[in-house]
Amino acid sequence: MGRQAEHRNSRRGRVAVRGFLALVGLSFVAPLFSSPASAATDDGEIVAIVTEQRETEDGVQKIPVAGVRITAVGTAASIEGVTDSSGTASLKVPKQGSYKVTLDVASLPAGVEASPESPTTIDVNFSTGVTIGSGAKSVRFFVGDARRAVINRWELLPQTLINGIKYSLIIAMCAIGLSLIYGTTGFTNFAHGEIVTIGALVTFALNQNGPRIHVLLAAPFGVAASALMAGGFERQIWRPLRRRGTSLTSMTIVSIGLAIGIRYVYLFFFGGRNRRYRQFVGDPEIDFGPFGITPRDIGIMVISVIVVVGVSLFLMRARLGKAIRAVADNPDLASTTGINTNRIILTVWLIGGGLAGLGGVMLGAASGVQWDLGNILLLLMFAAITVGGLGNPFGALLGAFVIGMFTELWTWVFPNVVELKTLGALITLVVILLVRPQGFLGKKERIG
Amino acid sequence: MKWDLILSNSLYTAVSANAVAYILVASGLNVHFGYTGLLNFGQAGFAAVGAYSLSIPINRFDWPWPLAMLLVMVLSVVLALLLGIPTLRLRSDYLAIVTIAVAEIIRLFLNSVRFTWLTGGNDGLQGFTRFMENINPFPDDGVTLWAQKVDGYRLWLLVTGWVLVAVVSTGIWALMRSPWGRVLKSIREDEDAARSLGKNIFAFKMQSLIIGGFVGALGGMWLVLDKQSSQPQDFSTTFTFFCYTIIILGGVARAKGPIIGTMIFLFVIQFVDITLQQATRTTPQDPTPLLPTWLVDDNNFSQIRFIVAGFALAALVVVRPQGIFGDKREQAFDVR
Repeated sequence: MGRQAEHRNSRRGRVAVRGFLALVGLSFVAPLFSSPASAATDDGEIVAIVTEQRETEDGVQKIPVAGVRITAVGTAASIEGVTDSSGTASLKVPKQGSYKVTLDVASLPAGVEASPESPTTIDVNFSTGVTIGSGAKSVRFFVGDARRAVINRWELLPQTLINGIKYSLIIAMCAIGLSLIYGTTGFTNFAHGEIVTIGALVTFALNQNGPRIHVLLAAPFGVAASALMAGGFERQIWRPLRRRGTSLTSMTIVSIGLAIGIRYVYLFFFGGRNRRYRQFVGDPEIDFGPFGITPRDIGIMVISVIVVVGVSLFLMRARLGKAIRAVADNPDLASTTGINTNRIILTVWLIGGGLAGLGGVMLGAASGVQWDLGNILLLLMFAAITVGGLGNPFGALLGAFVIGMFTELWTWVFPNVVELKTLGALITLVVILLVRPQGFLGKKERIG
Repeated sequence: MKWDLILSNSLYTAVSANAVAYILVASGLNVHFGYTGLLNFGQAGFAAVGAYSLSIPINRFDWPWPLAMLLVMVLSVVLALLLGIPTLRLRSDYLAIVTIAVAEIIRLFLNSVRFTWLTGGNDGLQGFTRFMENINPFPDDGVTLWAQKVDGYRLWLLVTGWVLVAVVSTGIWALMRSPWGRVLKSIREDEDAARSLGKNIFAFKMQSLIIGGFVGALGGMWLVLDKQSSQPQDFSTTFTFFCYTIIILGGVARAKGPIIGTMIFLFVIQFVDITLQQATRTTPQDPTPLLPTWLVDDNNFSQIRFIVAGFALAALVVVRPQGIFGDKREQAFDVR
């Protein structure tokens, strides 16, 4: 089954991590050449391309590097070549076979150095993998700008922390709803990511197509779409299933099926590209000394702090909020005190959906709108609510901070493996479950 | 529309070596979810371990293949222990979240640029199937089944694969009829009752996780043997959820469930996909496709099978949770 195309789309989102030292490696080579390997004669050619990835204000620039010595040692002989002005060296080998192609680091021009993210020795085997035409193999070397290494690690920490806070707030907004729904119904909703995504997609549609209104005007529609989708699911699917006595596991699996179906409907209509709103793109950063923030990110952080504090106060003080917490604590007891649990649950879906939509709109502004944006975040949301304590909305907030900060701090501690930054969060999850399975604010009786 | 091509290809897909891989991965999941009631959302992780424990040692370190197969076994057991020890004493949601997280960790690691020297990264690994090609008794040009050409290597994998399926399914069937299997089912039905009879629930769950995980790893191995390439994107969580669709389709907690489920699932998916491919195709002679491009075109038709698969999973659980051939008493959905 040719599933690569779809997965390539989904992968692009995950690979496109942005960090200070993020030099993307070989990922984009594969789609370029993909004709099958077939060779008429025995001799072959190895085409080596050396590219410098230079961090500039407009993003990463790719510059070919000339005058680099490349050697291929292998089956028949040892061949040497030097790259030309297009950064390309062609090494004619007398016999196809396996070769070790090495970039001579000493021959790199001044100001350019081997980057820790990509290897300087690549194995080439003529019998496997991608081939250009007949009998030619291509290898790519990526080198970096030596100047970037001068930056002191500690100077990057404030910026990392700021990014972590922004990321945590977005996770928190998306996860509060998931946590409240779990708390009131015990149901793990795998389609929550799709509720997040629809907020961003509707905002994008109104902003880029149709009426082309300002993103701040379009955002309320996105939030409403998410809330309506969540409320609609509760009324049309989850409430009837609960009434039928369907088990929570069945409902979880139903939500997984819905999530897959809806996600690919998004892909069908929206396409696999990561796209931007019309506003808040490429604004200059405001300099705060040790770190810089764009006005957009300040806006994201301010709004989410206000919303998170507002939701917390609502849950703590308001009558409805107290009723929600009562249902989350013990649904049976709450209903005997005269609380209409079904109405509370619907309210929770609407509020949780709206918050998720707002999170989606902000994530769309921060890192682009994408068909699986919510799904990528889903695992981090689960990690957040589990770490914080399942069912407790304040636990979700705390968990979101732990998860968001660990994710961003990973890029600071391991700057050369930024593509694995969610690993930090997932490992945190597993470790915390080992040490304190109920999470920070969870109740012990929930766990076993 | 070339209906003979469409039908023969869909039918072949339903019994191919690829189907064998799905059957094995789903059979492992059936041991976890169907018989024991373990909510494992990370079966793709076991499959990935099976695939890469074969391809990495052979491709990167020139191991002999029996040693690599031994590694498949060892590492799938190790993964089961890693997953089980922290979570099997907790409620099923925790196992679900940890398994899905660990499966993603494995996939992200395999996909990572940093570890390309080991795993091949995005492009994956190739050239580890020679041992299987060398003992292939079929001629290279293979056979033509109706309108479907099958090369010798694929035919060889198909035949050996179905032998493996027969062995594994019979084994699972026999195990589940044994007293040991009845303990697993009693854990699924009522954990406390089983515990009150003096059974060590944790040990039984762990054994189930290990056996199902190993069968899943065998499936992952077969998947990459068939593709002759192991790539991380084949082991996303969607793979796990398709296996849920398969075991629910074929009947939960039945040894032949995964076989029937896989055949139906792959036939339908392939039929939808290849029919749409034909209906949206344009050629220089015939520039207008059969279906209007505003509806579906040759760029997005391949999304439709995922839409079908996803909504089918949701609808099945609501309408017929025991599956098409399942036994309603064994539907195993009240996992706690």
